[in-house]
Amino acid sequence: MITRGPRQLLAEVQQPGLCIGCGSCVELCPYFRSHGGKTVMLHDCDLAEGRCHAWCPKTELDLEGLAQTLWGRPYPAQGMGPHLAVVAAKAGPRLESGSYQGGGTVSALVCAALDEGLVQGAVLTGGQGLQTAPRLAATPEEVIACAGSRFTAAPTLAALNRAQAQGCGSVAVVATPCQAAALAQRRAKPWPQRGAAGPAELVIGLFCNWSLDPQGLASFLAQRVEPREIRSMDIPPPPAGVLKVETGQGSLEIPLDEIRGLIPPACGLCPDMTSEWADLAVGMYEGRPGWNTLVVRNEKARALTEAAVEKGWLVMEKFPAANQEHLLQAAQGKRSRGLSAALAQGLLGGPGDDQPKALRVGSELYKAVENGEVA
Amino acid sequence: MEGQRLTMMGNQAITQGALEAGVRVAAGYPGTPSSEIIQNLAGAADEHGLYVEWSINEKVSLEVAAAASLAGLRSLCAMKQNGVNVASDFLLHLAGSGVRAGMVLVHCDDPGALSSVNEGESRHFARMLELPLLEPSDFQEAKDMTKWAFELSEEIGNLVMLRSVTRLSHASGGVVPGPIPAPGGQARFDHHGSPRDLRHGPVSSAPVGYKHRLQQEKLKRAVELFEDSPFNSYVGPESPELLVITSSICNLYVKEALALLDARDRVGVLKLGTTWPLPPKLLQRHLQRCEQVLVVEEVIPFLEENVKIAAAEMAGEIGAKKFFGKREGTLPAQGELNPDLVLKALAGILDLPYQARPAQYDRLAQELAPQATQDRELAFCPGCPHRASFWSLKEALALDDRDGFICGDIGCYSLAMRPSGYGLLKTLHAMGSGAGMASGFGQLGRFGMDQPVMAVSGDSTFYHAVIPALINAVHQKSPMSLVVLDNSGTAMTGFQPHPGTEANALGQPVPPVDIEAICRSLGAEVTVCDPFDLKATQAAAVGLLADQSTAKVLILRQLCALSPQRKGTKPYEVRVDPEKCLGDQCGCNRLCTRVFGCPGLAWEKESGKARIDEVICAGCGVCASVCPQGAIIISEGA
Repeated sequence: MITRGPRQLLAEVQQPGLCIGCGSCVELCPYFRSHGGKTVMLHDCDLAEGRCHAWCPKTELDLEGLAQTLWGRPYPAQGMGPHLAVVAAKAGPRLESGSYQGGGTVSALVCAALDEGLVQGAVLTGGQGLQTAPRLAATPEEVIACAGSRFTAAPTLAALNRAQAQGCGSVAVVATPCQAAALAQRRAKPWPQRGAAGPAELVIGLFCNWSLDPQGLASFLAQRVEPREIRSMDIPPPPAGVLKVETGQGSLEIPLDEIRGLIPPACGLCPDMTSEWADLAVGMYEGRPGWNTLVVRNEKARALTEAAVEKGWLVMEKFPAANQEHLLQAAQGKRSRGLSAALAQGLLGGPGDDQPKALRVGSELYKAVENGEVA
Repeated sequence: MEGQRLTMMGNQAITQGALEAGVRVAAGYPGTPSSEIIQNLAGAADEHGLYVEWSINEKVSLEVAAAASLAGLRSLCAMKQNGVNVASDFLLHLAGSGVRAGMVLVHCDDPGALSSVNEGESRHFARMLELPLLEPSDFQEAKDMTKWAFELSEEIGNLVMLRSVTRLSHASGGVVPGPIPAPGGQARFDHHGSPRDLRHGPVSSAPVGYKHRLQQEKLKRAVELFEDSPFNSYVGPESPELLVITSSICNLYVKEALALLDARDRVGVLKLGTTWPLPPKLLQRHLQRCEQVLVVEEVIPFLEENVKIAAAEMAGEIGAKKFFGKREGTLPAQGELNPDLVLKALAGILDLPYQARPAQYDRLAQELAPQATQDRELAFCPGCPHRASFWSLKEALALDDRDGFICGDIGCYSLAMRPSGYGLLKTLHAMGSGAGMASGFGQLGRFGMDQPVMAVSGDSTFYHAVIPALINAVHQKSPMSLVVLDNSGTAMTGFQPHPGTEANALGQPVPPVDIEAICRSLGAEVTVCDPFDLKATQAAAVGLLADQSTAKVLILRQLCALSPQRKGTKPYEVRVDPEKCLGDQCGCNRLCTRVFGCPGLAWEKESGKARIDEVICAGCGVCASVCPQGAIIISEGA
C-alpha cells in the first residue's frame, strides 16, 4: 500500500477533480480544511508522507492490499463484500418515530451502539436542505436530529478527526462507501505516532450509487427554488426516477436525468455500492416502504444487531433470496463500471505499477478488468 | 553653531538652507528619501516661527506651499520622485501662473529604487513644464543651493525645482551653516490688480498665451544667471583628453574614480549645478576643450540628451564630438551609479588597465556571506500586524478556492509581494492603484472572470489616493473588497501623522478623520477587525469573498509594532511549551517557522522543536493562534 504526501494528494485528487470532500484529510493538521463543500489546502506542505494521502479514499486505494490485511483474502472480482447475513430491518419501538428515511435502521443501530456502550459518540451527517454538516451525536435525540438522507457528500470524517483529537476514543461513523474505504485505510494503515486520529470503532455503511456535487447542486437548485426554503430531499425508489425537494411551498420533482451532470467524476470510479469496508451496511428496500436492507458483515456487527433487537431498537426479518440476488447484481454492476472506468482513465493499477493510481487491484483482477470479464 | 563646520545629513543641509532663506511655510507628503526635510522643518517650526504640515498627498502639499508664496511668504515643498507625478497637474498650472515669494520644490529621486517600487526620474518635469532645475552635488552645496533657490525663485517670479538623490539626502558631510533670519512675516494675498499683473492680480495660468510667454522669459532670465553661477565649476587641464560632464552626487563618484585611476591630468570635469535650462555659453566654453565627452548621471540620460542638443546647436562653433554615457552603453541605463561603475567607464575610454576588485572577490564574498549572516528574507518585523492580516487573507482566499487575488498598494505591506506576506499581492503600482485596479477587475465578471478580487491599502495611502478609487468602485457597483491595513500612522517612512491621527506635524491636536466613517458615508459595507484575532479576521475575509455583490471594506486595525506607542512594549510574554510541541512528530510540518515565518520564532535543531527568540519576539501573541497543538503559550503583563 503506497503512501505519498500532501503535494501529491493535491496533484492526484484535488486538481483532477476527484476529491469527494469526505473530510478524511481535514483537521488532521493545519493544512486541509473543508469549506463550501470543497476540501482546500491553506498552505503548502512538503511532507513526503502524510495521513492525508495515506487515508484518502480517492488515491492509492489498494483494494487488494486492504482485502488481504482486513479480510485475510484477495479482493474478488465478484460479490458485495464479506457478509454474515442480509436481512430486512427497521427501527424498533424504542426509537421514537422521527424524520428518518426508509426504515430508520441507521438511527436505530447508532442508538443501540451508544446504548450498549460500544461507542461514546457517533459521527453523522446532519443539517437541513443544502447545508450538510458533520455532527458528533452522543444521545438518541441527537441521532434522530441527524436522520434523513443527504445527497451531497459531506466532510463527515473531519468530525471524527475532531472528536478523536478531543479525546473521544471510540466513535461510530455513519459512512458512505468512500468514507468507509477511508476508514478501512485507517484500520490497515494506522498512524498513532502522529496523534489521536485513526480508525473508527464501528462503521455503519450506507448503500450509495452516486452523490451530487454540493456547489453544483446548490446553484442548480437556486435557479428553481429559494435555497432557504429547502426543507429536505429524497430520491424515492425506482421507477420514480426523480429527486424530490420539499420546500416551504410544497414539493418539487426534478428528473434524475437533469442532475446526472452534477455527479462528481470521482463517483464514476467508485466500485462499491454497499459499503463493503463497513461493519454493517444499510440501504433501501425496494418495494417495501418503511423497511431497509441490512448487510451484517462481521461478528461485531452481528452482536450489535442482536443486542439492538433484544433492547427494542431494531426489528429484523428475513430478506427474500430474489431481492438478495437483485442487490448482488446492482453491486456487481457498480463494481464493474467503477473498475472499467478507472482502467479507461489510466487510474487502475496492478501490483508493481509505480505510477500514481486511484485504485489498485491484484494482477488477476486487473487482467479480468482488462479483458472485460468483470460484469 | 553659525560659521562652524558641522556634519549634516543631506536632507538636514537642505532644511538649513531653507531656514537661512527665511522659509515660513513648508508642506510635503512622506516618501523616502525626502521625508526628513519636512520632519526637520517641523522640528524647527517653534523656534523659527514656521507653519509646517504633512499634507494628504503631494499635490495638496504643493498647493499649500503655493498659497504661502502667493501671500508673500517663502515656502518649500518636499516629496519623493513619484510624488512629483502626483503633484504634476498643479505643477503645470503653477509653472504657468508663476509665484510671488520664493518657492522651492525639493524632489528626491531614488536611483536604484532602494526604497521605492520605481526608478522614476523627476528632472524631466523641469524641461517639460519649463521650470529651472538645480542639482546639489555635496552637502554644503545642498544647503547653499537651497538658500539660493529661494532668491532665484523671487528673481524670476517662478517656482524653482531642486533635485536630490538618496545618496545625498541620506548621506552626511560637512556643512558650514549661516545665520537664520528672525521669525516674522506678514501674509497677505493681493488680488485686486489686472489678471496680467503678476504681483497684484488674480493668479492663474491664463490668459495662456500671455502667461506662457512670460514663463519662457523667466526661464531665459534663469539661464542668464546660470551662465555665471558658482554652482557650475570646472576642474582639470586646459585641454583634457576627455571632458566629463556630471551633476549631483555623481560628481563625488567621478572625483573618486579619477583619483584612483590617477587620471586627473588627462580628464577635465565640468560639474553642473544648474542642469535645466543649460547655460549655452558656459557649455560651449567647456565643450571646446576636447573632442570626447562622457556624461555621468543617474536614472535617465537627461543631462546627456540636453548636452547633445546644445552641442548640435553649437556644432558650427565647436565641431562634432564623440559622446559617451548611458545611451551608447558606457554607463548602465538602470540602477544607481557608484565609483566602481564610473571607474570602469573611465578606464575603458582612457584605455587604462584597472580592475575595480579582484576577480575572486565576488566568489569569496558569496562563500563567506552565509557564514557571517543569517539567511533571512526581507520580511515584516516581528509583531507586525501585516503578517497576521496576510495570514488570514491567505487562508480566506484558499478557503474561497476560486483563485482570488489581491491588488497591492504602497506601504510596508507592499512586502506581501514577497514570501513574508505569502506572495499574496498580484499587482503593485502607485499610491491608490490597488483599489483602482480592483475596481476594474471587479467589472470583468461580465467577460467570464470568476476570480474574486481584493485590494489592500494602508491608512495613510487610503487618504492619499484610495478614496477616489473606492468611490469609483461603490458608484460603478464593482464587486471588490478593500482591506484597509490600518496601523495608525505613516509607518514605512517613520510615523508621520496623516489625516487619521490626532496630532499634526507640529504635534498640535487636530481632528482625526475617521476611515470607517468615510467608507460608510460612501455607502460601502464596513467591517472592522483586529488582525491579531485570526479567527474573526478570517471569517470576515471569507464573508467578503463570498458576497461579491457590491464594494465592501474590511478595516484591520492594529498598531504598528514599531509605532511610538507600541515600540519597546511586549503585550505578551510568549514561550513554547516543550511538552506540548511535538516537533517533527506533529503533523504541522513546522507551521510556525516554515510557513507563518515570524522572525521571533526559531526551529531548534538540538531539541527538534520550536522556540521563541526572546530578543526578537515583540510579544504580539499571534503565533499562539497559529500553533495547532496549543504549544505556544502566551501570558499577559510582560
